Amino acid sequence: MENFELLMGGFATALTPMHITLMIVGVLLGLIVGVLPGLGAPNGVSLLIPLTFTMDPVSAIILLASMYWGALFGGSTTSILFNIPGEPSSVATTFDGYPMARSGQSTRALTLAFMSAGIGAFVGIVVITLLSTWAARFALRFGAAEYFAVYFLAFCAFVGMGSASPIKTAVSLSLGLLLSTVGMDTVTGSLRLTFGIEALLSGVSFLVVVIGLFGIGELLATVQDGLKFRGVASRIDPRDVFKTMLELPKYFTTIVRSSAVGIWMGITPGGPTAASFMSYGLARQWSKPGEKFGTGRPEGIVAPETADHSAGTCAMLPMLALGVPSSATAAVMMGGLMIWGLTPGPMLFTTQPDFVWGLIASMYISNFVGVILVLLTVPFFAALLRIPFSIIGPMIVAICFVGAYTVANSTSDLWLVLIFGVVGFVFNKLEFPLAPLVLAMVLGSKAESSFHQSMIASDGSLGIFFSNYLVGSIMTVALALLIIPQSLKFIKYLRSHKNVDAAA
Amino acid sequence: MKKLSVGLTFAAAVVLAGQALAFEPTRPVEFVVASGPGGGTDNFARTIQSIIAKHKLMEKSMVVLNKGGGSGAEAFLYARKNEGDPNKLYFGTNNAYLLPHVAKLAYSMEDLRPVAALAFDEFLIWVKGDSEYATPTDLIEAAKAAPNKLSFAGSQSKDTDETLVALIEQTTGTNFKYLPFNGGGEVGVQLAGGHVAANVNNPNENVGQWQAGAIKPLCVFSDKPMAKSDPVHDGKGWGDIPTCASSGVNIPSYKMPRTVWTAAGTPDDAVAYYSDVLKRVSETPEWADYIRKTSQTGDFMSGQKLQDFIVTSEKNAVGVFEAEGWLVK
Amino acid sequence: MRIKRLHVEIVTAITLAAVGALGATGALELGVSWSESGPMPGYFPFYVGIILIVAAFASAAQAIFRLKMGSEEMRETFLEPEQTRRVLSFLLPMIVFVIVTVFLGTYIGTALYLFYVAWRNGGYKPWIAILIGVVFSIALYFVFEKAFQVPLHKGPIEEMLGIY
Repeated sequence: MENFELLMGGFATALTPMHITLMIVGVLLGLIVGVLPGLGAPNGVSLLIPLTFTMDPVSAIILLASMYWGALFGGSTTSILFNIPGEPSSVATTFDGYPMARSGQSTRALTLAFMSAGIGAFVGIVVITLLSTWAARFALRFGAAEYFAVYFLAFCAFVGMGSASPIKTAVSLSLGLLLSTVGMDTVTGSLRLTFGIEALLSGVSFLVVVIGLFGIGELLATVQDGLKFRGVASRIDPRDVFKTMLELPKYFTTIVRSSAVGIWMGITPGGPTAASFMSYGLARQWSKPGEKFGTGRPEGIVAPETADHSAGTCAMLPMLALGVPSSATAAVMMGGLMIWGLTPGPMLFTTQPDFVWGLIASMYISNFVGVILVLLTVPFFAALLRIPFSIIGPMIVAICFVGAYTVANSTSDLWLVLIFGVVGFVFNKLEFPLAPLVLAMVLGSKAESSFHQSMIASDGSLGIFFSNYLVGSIMTVALALLIIPQSLKFIKYLRSHKNVDAAA
Repeated sequence: MKKLSVGLTFAAAVVLAGQALAFEPTRPVEFVVASGPGGGTDNFARTIQSIIAKHKLMEKSMVVLNKGGGSGAEAFLYARKNEGDPNKLYFGTNNAYLLPHVAKLAYSMEDLRPVAALAFDEFLIWVKGDSEYATPTDLIEAAKAAPNKLSFAGSQSKDTDETLVALIEQTTGTNFKYLPFNGGGEVGVQLAGGHVAANVNNPNENVGQWQAGAIKPLCVFSDKPMAKSDPVHDGKGWGDIPTCASSGVNIPSYKMPRTVWTAAGTPDDAVAYYSDVLKRVSETPEWADYIRKTSQTGDFMSGQKLQDFIVTSEKNAVGVFEAEGWLVK
Repeated sequence: MRIKRLHVEIVTAITLAAVGALGATGALELGVSWSESGPMPGYFPFYVGIILIVAAFASAAQAIFRLKMGSEEMRETFLEPEQTRRVLSFLLPMIVFVIVTVFLGTYIGTALYLFYVAWRNGGYKPWIAILIGVVFSIALYFVFEKAFQVPLHKGPIEEMLGIY
């Protein structure tokens, strides 16, 4: 109950007119940077940091954190409407969000995304409130082997049961892994596969690839059937927002499961992007039968969004309590923390209770503010789709290329977007799945380095992955997720064959 | 005749001095940072940016560009491409002159001109809070008893941390395992969680864990103890940490300079201008505050002094690289 | 000749295999074996490259096998002439846009591109199309350079006008 009192104190800090204004400003700015693919939460936050030098640390972190939440909400908007993920963690939202919007239900898709995001964030904050001390200690138990196990788990949960052909999945996955190895290798410090090309020194950026594959690739697919968006011109009715909200209790299990995934990945820290992929994969395996995933299924939006936001909020915990940022944005905020003279670490909770609990209280309020603001913008964003394609189409193209340029200020990334745009178009037509490629790019190099670190630590023995209960059980769950669905499929296949034989 | 020539020389000197003051950036100054957002170098550059803006030390505005690819090599390659551009400053550490020795890169020291060094980050040996090692000698003895078993965690590979660990090995005749991670924060947690035996983090990367008593410092690689400070944990502050040289690890000094560069071919007056601006930055109270909060050592260097420092620092590091077989030709 | 889906399947597979081969050969010079401290830097890229080659050929073989099994899908035309025309009318201006942007900068490139597509594909009057392009470009400038201080790629014309 001590935490509860501290939280009340935090609310007293956070609920001042000045702080509420900061939250609204932060969320709005965040929405803007989140919606534009060229700008992300890291840009926005690092831009605001110099402004915060004159503020007191609580106000400063409230502003920055609110901007982060706003960006997370904004990132889902373009994923759903244009198939362009505004933030890396909203890639998984495109899989079902975009098809649903395309079938004329853009309001429903956006509302589902924002509501489940809000719920995910709320659950995440409750966990931070109740379990902060325990969770920080738990995260300390993660060494290199445990990290690898977590990434491996995310891979298995996602790849375990895809509907695409296993051969094509393998192509996509290995292409992604190969791309993720380009550039400087952290563990050995050697440059890999750069072929003397300077632009490849910092690797092939995952964001650039995603902008090409999803954004440009989808536009090409759109125009082949005529120069307009496919079937999105539907009426916009504010009542749809409320109708969709009433729909939410149906997805209770999905929400609970996805929040759990998000919290786990946020604390351990696998990060929001991995969390959203993993949660989507699990939803695909465990949801009740119905329409196929990838065709606009509601659970396919609820699952990644809930997990993304619960992981995003929980990721604040390793940042504050351990000084380990689990996303680029968290890294920038941590830099701010140090400049304000606060030291992230286990003692921050004891030495700066006003700061920590003010921040936690503000997270409740600003996420609430965020959901309301973002729901108000739904009709506006949905109306964007009514602009004639010959105007909005090229604008999206221009924004995609601007966005790719800003990733590394390099014009060679423009060519990459073009190439991956064509790759995305061709892959789509030939039914190569794109998701494994993206997942491999996100997790590939992280998984490889933690694997390599474990090998150095264990002198090359694979036994390290089963050397204690924690890592052993994560690995077991991961392997189970990989093997069980396949064997179930196989058994089903055998049975159906037997029945055929018996009938014959 | 002689008088005249003296007079001419004097006049020329006056004209030169006049020119030296005449340089002003002609467009917004790009601060190119050789690390990703949130890294130590990034904080260094952004702190300078905010101080210049607050005290209006420059007419033009500033834009920060992060180019952290290839351990920061991306920033210096960008300098090579922008030879002679006086509106770009490059922020780094000693990576600027050490990277080309350990990785095949398309730039060399010839492509950069040093402007100033503003601070020095200290290195310490840290072990877990409840560790049996109370002095560096304990750790060294344990490593001698079990070669290649104890591990040091550090940031990146063949960078400052691994170089220091290699130097410790060469000086004391021991063999450690070295585990590279992505950043100082992660390295601190690996030690606090007991997954490695020790690390050589900078003070501000580990201070949070020290406050909590999860880890403790054994010694600092400096010729004199660090500046006195408030107690951090258990009544001990930064000033109470013994130097490594005095406690059995004979490495007199190992520090990482925080440096600012321009591209080669930048006119002398521009270099002089920036070095003057940075000098004034280093004299502000905000700078003193930054130095204190990050437990670094403030020491402004420019001109010949900086040149000499770089030559010595490079020579020492290359010696270590050579012994470890890291040099690339 | 009509380009059938089968042809595209095979060309794609060959391209992917070539990418795999490029990765694997690039990895060779880094060392691909398993040293005492775990895998060498080229280990992962090498084997991933090999897997990519194998998987790409397997997918080509699968496509041929399905054709032999009488799959109609493989005989389908990849893009109907009308579709090809539409895709090209969108893709070609985009390629030109990238080239112009690389040499003349983002703002000029964007304005010209929006103008062209609105005029030719959208059927707008030229002056409206020009307005769309210019206004959007200026909006980009204010949002990125002014509001968020993110510099975009600029070319010689911005240099002449003194816009940094």
